[in-house]
Amino acid sequence: MTKSSWKSKLTSSLFVIPYLLLFIVFLLIPIGYGAWMSLHNWDLLNPVHEFVGLKNYQKIFDPNSYLNDLFFEGLKNTAQFVVYSVPVLVAVGLGLALLVNTLPGKIRGIFRTVYFIPYAVSVSVVAIIWLWLLDTNSGLINQYLQKLNVPIIPWLTDLPWAWISLVKATLWWTIGFNMVIFINALNDVSEELYEAGSLDGASRWQRFIHITLPSIKPTMLFVVITSTIASFNIYGQPYLMTRGGPGTETKVLLMNIVDEAFKQRQLGNAAAMSLLMALIMITISIVQFRISNRKE
Amino acid sequence: MEKKWLKMALTAALTLGSLAACSSGEETSKTVEGKGEKITYWAPFSGADGPRMKAIVEDYNTSQDKYEVDFQIVPQSDYYKTVDLAFSGQGNSPDVLVMHTDQLKNYADKNLLKDLNDTIENTGMKESDYSETAWSAGNIGDKQYSIPLDIHPLVMYYNKDLFTAAGLDPEQPPTNREEFLAAANKLTDSSKNQYGFVVPTLWPNQFIFPTILFQNGGELMKDGKPNYNSPEAVEALSFYSDLIHKEKVSPENVQQDGEVTLFLQGKNAMHLNGPWMMEQWDKAGINYGVAPVPQLGTKQQAVYANGHNFVIPASVTDSKKLDGITDFLKFAAENTMEWAKSGQAPASKAIYEQNEEFKAMKQQPIVASEFEYAKFAPVVANWGQLSEPLWAEVNLALLGKKDPKQALEDANKKAEQVLNK
Repeated sequence: MTKSSWKSKLTSSLFVIPYLLLFIVFLLIPIGYGAWMSLHNWDLLNPVHEFVGLKNYQKIFDPNSYLNDLFFEGLKNTAQFVVYSVPVLVAVGLGLALLVNTLPGKIRGIFRTVYFIPYAVSVSVVAIIWLWLLDTNSGLINQYLQKLNVPIIPWLTDLPWAWISLVKATLWWTIGFNMVIFINALNDVSEELYEAGSLDGASRWQRFIHITLPSIKPTMLFVVITSTIASFNIYGQPYLMTRGGPGTETKVLLMNIVDEAFKQRQLGNAAAMSLLMALIMITISIVQFRISNRKE
Repeated sequence: MEKKWLKMALTAALTLGSLAACSSGEETSKTVEGKGEKITYWAPFSGADGPRMKAIVEDYNTSQDKYEVDFQIVPQSDYYKTVDLAFSGQGNSPDVLVMHTDQLKNYADKNLLKDLNDTIENTGMKESDYSETAWSAGNIGDKQYSIPLDIHPLVMYYNKDLFTAAGLDPEQPPTNREEFLAAANKLTDSSKNQYGFVVPTLWPNQFIFPTILFQNGGELMKDGKPNYNSPEAVEALSFYSDLIHKEKVSPENVQQDGEVTLFLQGKNAMHLNGPWMMEQWDKAGINYGVAPVPQLGTKQQAVYANGHNFVIPASVTDSKKLDGITDFLKFAAENTMEWAKSGQAPASKAIYEQNEEFKAMKQQPIVASEFEYAKFAPVVANWGQLSEPLWAEVNLALLGKKDPKQALEDANKKAEQVLNK
């Protein structure tokens, strides 16, 4: 073994260490601690935490327990959001990337920044902006609808509008991230392929389907998986915009878990619910990964 | 090479910065250092009321030098999480803290709060110095767990300009159901998008619905069980939802805070909310009046309220500390005029019955006039979770998606399930 390779190994390890430390402190240890909690009857105000084995998990699957409703109704609502939001997040992200990429150099930078800015804003600000825009009786959007003599829309208090509003706000907030990732992928597609395609008489659409899409496939997979995970973690938008309404129709799983942990003070139950949720997310990610790799 | 180092330093600085940001949640008031016995005091006053309380504490610290109160504000949204962690021994614990009335039972049940009966006697603080409603809320199972700071009941705000324009006397707001309906109808002009009383569909129904229910003579809990579907409750919710769907003095589909926005825009004539809204109306410069909540129910005058109370953790046993705490609480009882300035009415009689400056205020004496018939949340552990189904079903009824009776039946069923966990 030469000296330089030993050195380069050390350097690369050094680069990994900061991440590894943060990963252990902020992810691995909390996950382990959560798993430990989920096996106990862990009341936040009770100093004694009785070991109960898998009982907390059993309760989640017992139809007579309120935990059953809390978990599966929350999961149903979260799943709805994932199904509605992920296709839009991916398609619009790619669409914007294609549009921005056709712009001339200087303007391209401006638009890229403008679309990315909302991503830097916190969820409470996003919620307040959209609450004002979507207000049933005094919001900007309904004011315009009234001027056009279109009946006003109960954006946040009726279905399916509440979901549409939540997806819309999420789209506005996070689309910049997906767009930037797609722009980078598009720039990596070799110009020669397009040139060869044009010479062979491929139309714009054909070039997009047969050259662009296959070339950015790894990025596409990355965006689909990160968008799915991010959408699964939805919390702030419904918590602040619809408060879970109408009724509990948009009360997502994370809202229920937080309630169980800090309103009911049952950390054991909440930890069990979180771990189940994590398992579901991991399973879905693996399935997505498998499906897109099989097509190869 | 130089650039590389610069980049690394920047990265390190950013990382450290973001870590430091995580721990800056608590705000500490630094007063004169290093004198007297230190008393740590926690409160959730992260809004406009924070500086008021800070001023009281600073006054206390300069008024004597035996004790030094260290006042720490924990943001409202994280308050009970932080308190819970302190009580379970996983964090620093305060010596005295503010607790809402509807939370007392949760902590008293677990023996986490100090019975104040002995400490009170030593200092000459007594029940008769405080509003009876507020004092007795701290009495659970023959033990006195808290000293009240204030009661915040629901109050009615109304837009005086709209009253005048509709030919109503702006100094004579409605006091009962008939007057309320008559005024609301007169004040409604849907062609101008102007309404008599915009019915919220979410918060603050946690205050409004129990108020009408209590006024009907109903109870939220009976014999330790949820009692959401009583005839009184059905009448209350039917009346409330009729305001939207039959009387049409409110628009439909009001979203979170939609009624506040309309009140700020001068398109909502009457509005029920807590006394904490005062500063927001003042800032917006609305010509508003304050009145006790009209008797919208059919039986009696009543109003739902919550309150701020001082409690001492059971783990505080150092007698010197306890003396200091009670000394501070006594000072606070006599000096809460500052607290009143945020719109609240202190529960100490020295202020709300005797202080002339207080009596001359616009909103605060009206809040205090409701003390006598104010009622708190049922004394039951985990009222928060137990009441959750009720607010969701009230929401559905007010959105016109469910018949009030059916909604309350469903809420009751779900609450029973939570209770029988």
